[in-house]
Amino acid sequence: MSLHVYLMRRLVLMIPLLVGISIVSFTISNAIPADPTAANLGERAAADPDIVAAFRHKWGLDQPLHVQYLTYMRNLLRGDMGTSIRSHRPVVEELRRYLPATIELATAGILVSVIAGVIFGVVSAVWRNKPIDFVVRILSLIGVSAPVFWLALIGLLVLYLRWDVVPGPGRLDARVVPPARVTGLYTVDSLVAGDLGLFRNSIEHLLLPALVLGAYSAGLITRITRSSMLEVLSQDYITTARSKGLREWVVVMRHALRNALMPVVTIIGLSYSSLLSGAVLTETIFAWEGIGRYAYNAARTLDFPAIMGVSMLIALVFVVTNLVVDILYYWLDPRLRHG
Amino acid sequence: MRRFITVLFVLSLIVMVFGTVTAQDDEKVLVVGLSEDYHSLDPNRAYEPGGSQVHHSVYDTLVTFPSDSVDEILPNLAADWDISEDGLVYTFYLRDDVVFSNGDPLTADDVVFSFNRMKNLKDNPAFLADTIASVEAADDLTVVLTLEHPDPAILAKLIFDAFSVVNADVVREHGGTDAEDAAETDTAEDWLMNNSAGTGPYMVESYEPTVQTVLVRNPNYWGEPAYFDRIIIQNLPETSTQKLILEAGDIDIAMDVIADQLPSLRQNDAIEVFSTQSDTLIFLLCNQDPEIGGPMSDPLVQRALRYAVNYEELKFLSGEGADNPAAMVPIGFAGALDPSEGLTRDLDQARALLAEAGYADGFTIDLEYPDFNYIGTEFGIVAQKVQADLAEVGITVNLVPQEFQVSLEAYRAGRQGFSLWLWNPDYYDTLDYVEFLPNGVVGNRANWTDENADQEILDLRDAVIVETDSATRNELFRQIQLYEQQNGPFVPLFQPGVHFAYDANLQGFAYNGQWRVDLTRLHY
Amino acid sequence: MDNLHTVRLRMRQNPLMVVGAIVCLVWIVISMAAGDLAPYHPLEQSVMERLQAPSSDHLFGTDQLGRDVLSRVLYGGRTSLPAGLLVVTSAMLVGTAFGAVAGYMGGMWDELLMRFTEVFMAFPIIILAMAIAAALGPNVTNAVIAMSVVWWPNYARIVRSLVISVKSDAYVESARAIGSSPVRILLITILPNCVAPALVMATLDIGNAILIFAGLSFLGLGPEPSSPEWGRMVSDGIDYFDQWWLSTFPGLAIFTVVMALNFVGDGMRDLLDPRTRKQIG
Repeated sequence: MSLHVYLMRRLVLMIPLLVGISIVSFTISNAIPADPTAANLGERAAADPDIVAAFRHKWGLDQPLHVQYLTYMRNLLRGDMGTSIRSHRPVVEELRRYLPATIELATAGILVSVIAGVIFGVVSAVWRNKPIDFVVRILSLIGVSAPVFWLALIGLLVLYLRWDVVPGPGRLDARVVPPARVTGLYTVDSLVAGDLGLFRNSIEHLLLPALVLGAYSAGLITRITRSSMLEVLSQDYITTARSKGLREWVVVMRHALRNALMPVVTIIGLSYSSLLSGAVLTETIFAWEGIGRYAYNAARTLDFPAIMGVSMLIALVFVVTNLVVDILYYWLDPRLRHG
Repeated sequence: MRRFITVLFVLSLIVMVFGTVTAQDDEKVLVVGLSEDYHSLDPNRAYEPGGSQVHHSVYDTLVTFPSDSVDEILPNLAADWDISEDGLVYTFYLRDDVVFSNGDPLTADDVVFSFNRMKNLKDNPAFLADTIASVEAADDLTVVLTLEHPDPAILAKLIFDAFSVVNADVVREHGGTDAEDAAETDTAEDWLMNNSAGTGPYMVESYEPTVQTVLVRNPNYWGEPAYFDRIIIQNLPETSTQKLILEAGDIDIAMDVIADQLPSLRQNDAIEVFSTQSDTLIFLLCNQDPEIGGPMSDPLVQRALRYAVNYEELKFLSGEGADNPAAMVPIGFAGALDPSEGLTRDLDQARALLAEAGYADGFTIDLEYPDFNYIGTEFGIVAQKVQADLAEVGITVNLVPQEFQVSLEAYRAGRQGFSLWLWNPDYYDTLDYVEFLPNGVVGNRANWTDENADQEILDLRDAVIVETDSATRNELFRQIQLYEQQNGPFVPLFQPGVHFAYDANLQGFAYNGQWRVDLTRLHY
Repeated sequence: MDNLHTVRLRMRQNPLMVVGAIVCLVWIVISMAAGDLAPYHPLEQSVMERLQAPSSDHLFGTDQLGRDVLSRVLYGGRTSLPAGLLVVTSAMLVGTAFGAVAGYMGGMWDELLMRFTEVFMAFPIIILAMAIAAALGPNVTNAVIAMSVVWWPNYARIVRSLVISVKSDAYVESARAIGSSPVRILLITILPNCVAPALVMATLDIGNAILIFAGLSFLGLGPEPSSPEWGRMVSDGIDYFDQWWLSTFPGLAIFTVVMALNFVGDGMRDLLDPRTRKQIG
């Protein structure tokens, strides 16, 4: 199968998936028992039937459910996700505002976990059953066992409060004015603005949250890399390579690692999209104004268009990440290409 | 690859060595940590206490309070005013030197527009304009306010943010209107979220909901210019975060300090703490409608509750600055009973009352409450305390935490049978607490109406609303509170303290209950 | 006998699994005997002794309402452990049903069922759970329902691929040849062969489920506020950095339980998976 055909097939399959997701999130959003009318109108206004009717009409709440859904989908195709009831701003604009913070955090988190995970995994596999293997395995289990919100608290308590080696919550020091918005990613925007101080500040603020957020995936990646490396290292061609007298690390890095990375790529893809959504807890503790907090606030305030918007966005991220993983797979695995 | 890594390494070294944050040294910035409770910066829709920090810096009202008390009414945009004999007509004479931030002079038309717009938007604060019959401009600098009936609290009401005076031309230009149908046709809110049209010392520069609100000094301000060039109000919902980064020096003032943090903050020499009693009343509501309230609608059960809760421990739980008001008028308001006149816990009395009501073996009831934290009062914790107290008289309480908006909706609609709520004064006059009487705002939420209330309390209520003599007024309020101690659907729990912490070098801090802290007066 | 011997041998080679199993056992015993072990009742308040640091009276200190943190931590397992178990069990049942039917029927049914499964996989678990909890009201049952809704697709996938891999085995073919009904083939012939891998996955998963459950109750979407539950206790302590014991101990409880479960799950995988067995040996 050529890459084109393969890609087309995947893209076509995405359509029913996204439609399904929209139906489910629409159903759930509408199952919320509270009436957004009272929650969003002033007390006097909510007591006035004319104003209530006008409000319900304005937000389409007076239409039957399936009509509301069709209207929503029609607008969605035009890139209009409606207007947040709470903030009175277009949801698309809000998502664009909050998404970069989460992307920055999740990317930093995945970087941490890939670097730590692959290194630990390789080390652990190469020195199998040695003390270092034992230590790494315990470390990786700690990573997948510690509740992220607790890790964040302990991290702040020790690293910020006691030792003061990392800055406190927030994306930048509170006193610092954020860089002019280009991408919304402070690390990138500060470089664009040529402000190295700002860049450093944003990196420092990323450190602890990324470490905390990445801990779980790091543990996961370590474990996958280790078992995958173990499998590859016992293959015949590795023995052959060794017998040719190649140095051990060349064997490991050149021959084994590349082949062992296949399953790791899958897990990285899965982790990335789960990090994006799992950031809710980390964002709460680190006062990180990202998509997770936005979703949390939307759910708390019954902001129906916002809940829909976030669900659709995150589902889309999931689908796209899966697609990217599939493409990587296609490149990495010769069997898929020729089979 | 190796080349790339080397380059990256060198680059990062450079950053680490030379890159330090160059905060705007030339600019004086005040950073405020605040748990953002507002989602509109339209002053005529102002309602939430946090929003006052912004509105009070950006807009002005006709009259005002001193910065550290609410005991005296002072001139502000109005240099002077007359009150007619019958108390129905107020004539305000505006200052002639006031200009808006865009340079336009203030006129009586702006005041008329602002008041009518606030009333016709029918948003949360609109009830404050209920006693106003009309607002008219007699000439460019004279405003005539006519009332429906005498309202001894009207000047205090005019100090509330919602009566902020906006530049009528500018707001009209952006879709604003003061017409009767403003609730449906006014579209200026969007613009007012990121801009301002006021006469205050600052202007709104930007507002990023849930992130920060940035104010910048108004170059055309008519009074003494403020010290800081810019005020950044950072949304920091977690009080622990506010404390942390205040200690690190990243913010200048933390607006949401809780009592339990005070001991450790006091140990820090670099930080100053301000702590006082708030005007917030935390109370229990029982629904008078038997369909909704069940056993809670029984007057004997309601009285039993007032003997069953442990006031002393609730006060201790709430921490420094807290006290127990004797009835539904908070300590500090004219005519409030002394705390020593309050009820004390009497379990035998409570059990006897329950037995008399036919609940000798107790009963099971849901307690609904908004799951949130208000100035350090964690509603979940208070609810658990009430649960434990009532268990001692045989009442089994199931806690039903609700999302704030969901709970608010049910509360406003009078659908909660038994709930835990708070009340903040809308304006600084004891009359605001008539809302706890039959057919008042809160009375209605408990379905306490003219139909099901005693004649005694109805007479007291009707007398106090129009009474202008302060001694008679206080006596009437006294009788109302004594009545509330024995009857009615409310249980006053406590009045929490309110606490602030700020950089010890910061000068000019003053607190009053209306707008809390006037940020424009702070300086180093 | 020989089998038992090798198992014992393997256990010795995998001390982590033994440690994990012991810790799990200890937590199960603690949760069951919490009434006898806890020095105080977990709901007993003494407000005047609130926020006391750990001492001999209160080994883990007291919380905002003067309740004994140690007693609450000991009782906490009664909510978290069954919740985790319940989520994984229900997810496994639903997922197995979907996966087995999809794998066995193949063709259009497979496509349809798997697309349906993907819809739920694409949902961020916490956000879906938040929406469900907001819709149904926060309590343990709803948290478990919300989690199960997003949990089952993983099992559907695994079971489907297992069913497909054994579908064409000789013994299945012969069952089909003698005219057994498809339901019978699926239930009696195919599924028993898929149980072991699904169980290993489930063991590894319980820990994860406990973590997510704790996360939900951390956000206030779990059990009743006064009930002793670990995630809830951690979040109650979040405003109290100075009173470190409020969050630290319940967090530690979650951590040790999940860690122990992971030790056991890891060990079980090694024991049952022939590939890794070869390498350990």
